[in-house]
Amino acid sequence: MKDCASDVEKKEITRRTFLKMATGAGLLAGLTGALAGCADKNPEHAGGKGWLPYQYNVAGNLPAQVRGRVPIDADNPSIVRDDRKCILCGQCLEVCENIESVYGYYNLPVVDETICINCGQCSMACPSGAISERDDTQKVFEALADKNKFVLVQTAPATRVALGEEFGLKPGTWVQGQQVAALRRLGFDAVLDTNFTADLTIMEEATELIKRIKGEVKKPLPQFTSCSPGWIKFCEYFYPELIPNISSCKSPQQMFGALAKTYYAKEKGIDPGNILSVSVMPCTAKKYEAQRPEMNASAAYWKRDNLRDVDVVLTTRELARMIKEKQIDFTALPEESYDQLMGEETGGAVIFGATGGVMEAAARTAYFLITGQEPPALFLNLTPVRGLAGVKEAAAEIPGVGTLRVAVSHGMANGRKILDAVREGRAPWHFVEFMTCPGGCVAGGGQPRTAVPPTDAVREQRLAALYKADASLPKRNSHENAEVAALYHNLLEHPMSELAEELLHTEYHSRADKLERLFAKVV
Amino acid sequence: MGALVDITKCIGCESCVVACRLYNGLEPGQNEGYRTAQDGNTELAPNKWTVIQSHRTEKSEKQIRRFVKQQCFHCLEPACASACFAKALQKTPEGPVVYNEKLCVGCRYCMIACPFGILRFEWDKPFPRVLKCQMCLGRLADGQMPACASVCPTGAITFGERDKMVGEAKNRLTSNPDLYTGQIYGVKEAGGTSWLYISDVPFEQLGFRTNVPEKPIPEYTWQVLRWTPFIFVGWGALLTGMYLYTKRRAGVHEEEEMYAPVDDDGK
Repeated sequence: MKDCASDVEKKEITRRTFLKMATGAGLLAGLTGALAGCADKNPEHAGGKGWLPYQYNVAGNLPAQVRGRVPIDADNPSIVRDDRKCILCGQCLEVCENIESVYGYYNLPVVDETICINCGQCSMACPSGAISERDDTQKVFEALADKNKFVLVQTAPATRVALGEEFGLKPGTWVQGQQVAALRRLGFDAVLDTNFTADLTIMEEATELIKRIKGEVKKPLPQFTSCSPGWIKFCEYFYPELIPNISSCKSPQQMFGALAKTYYAKEKGIDPGNILSVSVMPCTAKKYEAQRPEMNASAAYWKRDNLRDVDVVLTTRELARMIKEKQIDFTALPEESYDQLMGEETGGAVIFGATGGVMEAAARTAYFLITGQEPPALFLNLTPVRGLAGVKEAAAEIPGVGTLRVAVSHGMANGRKILDAVREGRAPWHFVEFMTCPGGCVAGGGQPRTAVPPTDAVREQRLAALYKADASLPKRNSHENAEVAALYHNLLEHPMSELAEELLHTEYHSRADKLERLFAKVV
Repeated sequence: MGALVDITKCIGCESCVVACRLYNGLEPGQNEGYRTAQDGNTELAPNKWTVIQSHRTEKSEKQIRRFVKQQCFHCLEPACASACFAKALQKTPEGPVVYNEKLCVGCRYCMIACPFGILRFEWDKPFPRVLKCQMCLGRLADGQMPACASVCPTGAITFGERDKMVGEAKNRLTSNPDLYTGQIYGVKEAGGTSWLYISDVPFEQLGFRTNVPEKPIPEYTWQVLRWTPFIFVGWGALLTGMYLYTKRRAGVHEEEEMYAPVDDDGK
């Protein structure tokens, strides 16, 4: 009996048996639930915890006004996109389609490249900073640290009225002297001015215009300016039949690059292979322009294949970043002057940064080259081509020639109006200026993002600063630039000479095979 | 429901990729910001349920470039769901094949089953999940398009009833026979999928799996798996029978021994 009693005691629920039983029951319930797929009465699926901007939360297929974003290739030399910051607001597409008339003006399917004119206006409109310029500052820092490199820099006309905004100064503050000082503090071996080649461009371009008008060059009128690389690419894509109208002159940046490794190198006795040619530009398309295969005049000149005329292009924003990285107190810098040989400027060069500026400067010098007299007051204040109207026209009397008719546009949607008129044979103009960016280079795709999206108020302040500088300079005509005169005397002989053609002129090529053009926007 | 992707209309802006990330709350990886051409195409990942892949190929002896959107095809008879004994992957009546992480045991049979190689496993997580496109089930419930379809600026993605999408695809092919190849990918592949594609370039040139059987994958598995109950019961019966037989034989043997005549030796 005693034995039986001890057996009963053993079967009592102990802590051990309870845990075993509970675990077994749990496992059984879990397995049953899992197998049946009904463990969760309200099954949750993964995802769906985030958000989308308002315009995408519409039922069905209602069209949204702004939908999606622009395509940017991973190897785009001008702009990059940080997908982590993109909020699909569609502002980039809005600019590309309505301001630059690129997106929506080509048929699909794409051929073999992403259509982009590299203007960077999308980066100016991007509220989250997801689109920005391709950062090349490290290349410059490395070269500056290399004792064997002669690092030479040129600065565009428009950077000097915008760089200050990165350091808290008011839009349009004139910081030319501080910019030079900052570049010296960064360690550049020579600080030179693109204004020098802006004047040179005018000498070449005005000469070409006169030759076209006189029929000495068998090229059609109107002559188109060629300083804005985004516009050039736009024309190559969408209006290839009008390429002969484009001036053969390179842009001031590329003229400068070609001369930096030829004229400057010879005069200073520097091996061109040791020169790193840097430019500071208000423009992202300049990064693309510097990479164009045609832009290696110095390589042809020295017969050294590996030379590029401009090695690195920095935007105004990148220069500001470099100054901040080196902790240079920009606003406290003294005003310094550019180095000699390729550092002189005139008022005509300064206004290159404004819409209508190239036109006005060219008109002044064309008047001089035709009449041999200094241009009258009208040419020094060609007000009809100033300001922010999309398309501007002007007519001015040049004794001995007649009326010079000119037109100016900025933003390629405005440019299309002129281009369509030229294509249809209803263009009365002799000379037309195209600028890719609204307002011209002052509001280029590489300028400080003082207002997002850029406003006319900021553009006007920067433009006013350029015209004020022009009015205050002792020399206002490009043909008065003494260093340009010295260049012709020492090397080029005269505008459009054989060597000038070799170094300063180029040809453009149709890109029509890269897309199927649409002459009206896709609805 | 279904979606029709017209490859000829894709410009490679990857709006759909960002929309998917934003709506599904997928955290981008540290290196997923800027990309260079050297980085190549991005692949599907646990935090990337859709990607755009760029393909350079030839058409009429000319170099061309096409962009292909990748995501779960949402098969009409999904192999992944049939392979999932935990029912973590299920086909919903609306069309999406959705994943419920609370039921997932992490066996990854679904990954082996998927004929398109879409599902991705969180290898670096202590409690990993198997993730893929959910066709934005929540948005569908609200009468909206999936996030990716709603943001496409060129209309490369059309969304609606699958039958209508098939009809739309056929319309496009017949109205523009010079452009398209004439094939609708996804009508028959793996028994039919909710995502359909049309293209002007043969699909095999664009990285599509063109050797996917037309019969639904679960039908293949069913040919084997339908024997499971019989094998389960039969095997049990066989073993029980063998157990009973051996037990009885041992009993008989013991009995025989017990009642066996004692040897004359008397030991």
